[in-house]
Amino acid sequence: MKKLDVRLLRMIKNSKGQFISISVMVILALTIYVSFSMVADNLYNTIYNYYDITNFGDVFVEVVRIPKAAIDHLYTIEGIEEAQGRISSDVPLRVADPNEKVRVRVVSLPKESGGINSIYTIYGGEIQEHGKTTAVLQQFFDARGMRLGDKITPYIAGREYPLDIVGVIGSPEYIYLMENEQSLLPAPEKFGVIYVTEDFAQSVFGFQGSYNEVTIKIKDEYLHDIDRIIEDIEEQLDRYGVRRSIKREDHLSHSMLMQEVDSLEVMSTAITLLFLIVAAVIINIMLSRIVKNDRMSIGVMKALGYNNFSILAHYTKFSLLIGLVGSIIGIILSIPLSGAFTNLYIYYFNIPMFEMQVYYIYIVYGILLTSIFCIISGLIGARSVLRILPADSMRPEAPKTGGRIWLEKIKPIWNRISFSWKMVIRNILRNKKRAAFLMLGIALTYGITMVPIFMSSVWGNMFMLHYGEFQTMEYNIDFTKPMNTNVIRELQQLIDVDYIEPKTEIPFELVNGWRKKVVSVIGVPKDTQFYNFTTPTGFRIDIPNSGVILAEGLANILGADIGDEILVKNFMPDIDDKYVEVKGITQQYLGINAYMNQEELNKLMEERGMVTGALLNSKDEVATKLRDIKNIGQVQSVTDMKNSFLEFMDTIIYSMGVMMLFGGILGFAIVYNVTVISISERIMEFSSLRVLGFDKKEIYKMVTRENALITFLGITIGIPLGYGLCVSMVQGLSTELYSIPVIINPNTYAITAISTIFFVIVAQLATMRKIYKLNLLDALKSRMS
Amino acid sequence: MLKNDVLIKVDNVSKLYQMGEVTVAALKEVSLDIYQGEFIVILGPSGSGKSTLLNILGGMDLPSEGKVFMEDEDITNYNDKKLTVYRREKVGFVFQFYNLMANLTARENVELATEICKNALNIDDVLGAVGLSDRKDHFPAQLSGGEQQRVAIARAVAKNPYLLLCDEPTGALDFQTGIKILSLLKKINQDFKKTVVIITHNMPIGEMADRVIKVRSGEIIEMKVNDSPIPPERIEW
Repeated sequence: MKKLDVRLLRMIKNSKGQFISISVMVILALTIYVSFSMVADNLYNTIYNYYDITNFGDVFVEVVRIPKAAIDHLYTIEGIEEAQGRISSDVPLRVADPNEKVRVRVVSLPKESGGINSIYTIYGGEIQEHGKTTAVLQQFFDARGMRLGDKITPYIAGREYPLDIVGVIGSPEYIYLMENEQSLLPAPEKFGVIYVTEDFAQSVFGFQGSYNEVTIKIKDEYLHDIDRIIEDIEEQLDRYGVRRSIKREDHLSHSMLMQEVDSLEVMSTAITLLFLIVAAVIINIMLSRIVKNDRMSIGVMKALGYNNFSILAHYTKFSLLIGLVGSIIGIILSIPLSGAFTNLYIYYFNIPMFEMQVYYIYIVYGILLTSIFCIISGLIGARSVLRILPADSMRPEAPKTGGRIWLEKIKPIWNRISFSWKMVIRNILRNKKRAAFLMLGIALTYGITMVPIFMSSVWGNMFMLHYGEFQTMEYNIDFTKPMNTNVIRELQQLIDVDYIEPKTEIPFELVNGWRKKVVSVIGVPKDTQFYNFTTPTGFRIDIPNSGVILAEGLANILGADIGDEILVKNFMPDIDDKYVEVKGITQQYLGINAYMNQEELNKLMEERGMVTGALLNSKDEVATKLRDIKNIGQVQSVTDMKNSFLEFMDTIIYSMGVMMLFGGILGFAIVYNVTVISISERIMEFSSLRVLGFDKKEIYKMVTRENALITFLGITIGIPLGYGLCVSMVQGLSTELYSIPVIINPNTYAITAISTIFFVIVAQLATMRKIYKLNLLDALKSRMS
Repeated sequence: MLKNDVLIKVDNVSKLYQMGEVTVAALKEVSLDIYQGEFIVILGPSGSGKSTLLNILGGMDLPSEGKVFMEDEDITNYNDKKLTVYRREKVGFVFQFYNLMANLTARENVELATEICKNALNIDDVLGAVGLSDRKDHFPAQLSGGEQQRVAIARAVAKNPYLLLCDEPTGALDFQTGIKILSLLKKINQDFKKTVVIITHNMPIGEMADRVIKVRSGEIIEMKVNDSPIPPERIEW
């Protein structure tokens, strides 16, 4: 081995703490990059493989009622490969606990097996043509602890229909199981999907010979033209009352999955870059320190006839080795890790595993990326090698100009500071670059740690704002069909109600120019006590006599502003579409809706006194009492929502912890390395202090004070940084369906500060050994490297 | 000595340093010939410009004016790359503070130098010649000052250079050890036929030289050929 390389290895051995701590960052960066990228690709391929196996549809059209012949007629539209009718309807499920509210979507299966969205049998058998059997979606089956052969009892049109569970299945439509776009979280024990025969569904729902949904497969070569095809379909099916048509990309389960895959990719890139950048800065500072200390050795190397390139390469190899060690360990870790993560996702999503692949390209990218980062940071750090003249390097370096610092000019303050604090402040101000990096590092640690702490309170805040301030009812009841206002009085006779309001909720397509969106428009009484509409700036909005209030998210999608006239398209065949003026834009964190005066909404439907549900507050056993009442569709209670929310919280604690750990590692690496560098740069200074009679403890105290002061300043910068990170996190996470409020509790700041200080202290303790081990008097004797 | 045995010719060399607004001349029009196989001692107090002269001879620094020829080649025209090759192939340095690589053993320190040379000598022979055969696997911190300086000399000699430049080689050593180092340098001069230039402020060392050059304030004030140099063992200070 070349002797310079021998020297390098011994140099690394002497600074192994730094080498390891920087390598860990590189390992993390590479592991996250390679494994998450592979997980994302594997997941993507697995999902698409599953779609292929099950022939997942491209377009889904919900209609009021459509005969088979009309579906067959769809084949006249160019590009349609397959069209299939089915019945799909959400109904309550009878369960042992009368207070528990469980709903199922009953979906019919075509007579012939196969077709679009075919089910994937996980175990059990197929449903029989005759006899009351059903196949249950696995997530629901598992969440409710069902067994094959159990009976489940959906409550359809006022009757109970006990069905035998004969199969457990998966479906491409419900990989991510959520009831609808308004659901905040998946709750597989409260909502499931069951499959029944077409005959059974047609008979119990009263759909003889007809359907209420059409699933369509488009020929591959026409997929680019999907929007045109959908328009044709909507036109052809208009008279069957098109409620809405959904492309695959807007399909709830699919879009949630794609969001998951995308966020994996975003996260892998963002965390990787962050760690690499911090590692690069530490390498840079560390190498420039080593080069500075090695000044004489570099002079000797030059005197011996080593050229600049070999000397520069000698030091840059230090960082290259960090990159290589990090890459190798990172790759070794990332392959099994990506397998485990993919399996975890696939297990969670209940899809059959496609071939698990190792994508070598990410390994190549990863190594390239880390090597480039490390080499560049190494070169920048060691570049002063070039400036060292062999003749000069033999002489000791001239002392740095140690002029007064600006604070000293402010006598009233400066004179009050004790001598050791004066030294601390001077040290910080004389090494501005190093202090700035440490400060920035602590700020970054603070910011990164703040995000998960903030995120853990986000859902709670959102929940509280939506269900505590925006809408305050305790129960939200939907009827199975539109009713007359008298029904409210009937309800009051059935249950002991504190306060009740009628509501009318009807899906419309809102159109503004070329932008459109299908949403539920909710009609409430003019003096509603349950909704509090406020502008994004917090001013109250009253329900106008005429016109509509849009949720902020909806207004954004439609590009609509106050005063605009938007077209409200209904899904009824014989009722004209009407224009309505936008009167207000309200904040709504969860879901996107439009709100109107109830009577005005009825006018749009050419009705009077029609209600589709009720909102109420009650201390009564509402769910139990309304259980067997005809025409009661669903009873939603805020308590139920709260419980499923709490369950969801348990699952995010884990990812929060991982992110905190990342923040901690980052903080540790920065503080540890900068402190070690600072100590080794100042051996001479410390030695002189020792000679003056300072003991090790006092010197250590001085270093600690410096770090404490910088930590304080770092946290001060970290607060706005963390706030910014939280805001951008929120923007990244907000979807059409929910916007996350940026409310940061004082607790969040405090907990983050405590965590950051904890990380700093751990790093500080790790450096203590370095100071105690220094042979300070030796340092004074010789200046050799 | 014959004129045509000139190894290095220093011709009217000046070195000026800009210190703020003042120009300081470290060397003023110095001319000097160094002959093949000569043992030269350059004497002068600190600040006399002797180190500057040594650095220029060794290709570590370039003069502001004048020329330096090594075997008829003008090294003052050399670019950085050529100077590096010059230092690598033709010059060996010995420093006052030895300047060994702390994390390399004695042998590795010598290898560090020879690895990049074409005509390097056998390392073990050289280490044997400086009397360090049994200490070669020790690290500098485990060696005494004299031993460290012997490693430094071995490092310089093993490169098989034309010229050995020694900057106060005994400056950090006690008298006895200093004498040993000087004997070693004399031996190298005789056995390996190397031209040796020592700079020092220590007058008695001049007595062992073939030629003594006295420098003061950047100028050569005296150049004396020593007809009967005494062996280093008889030097005293």
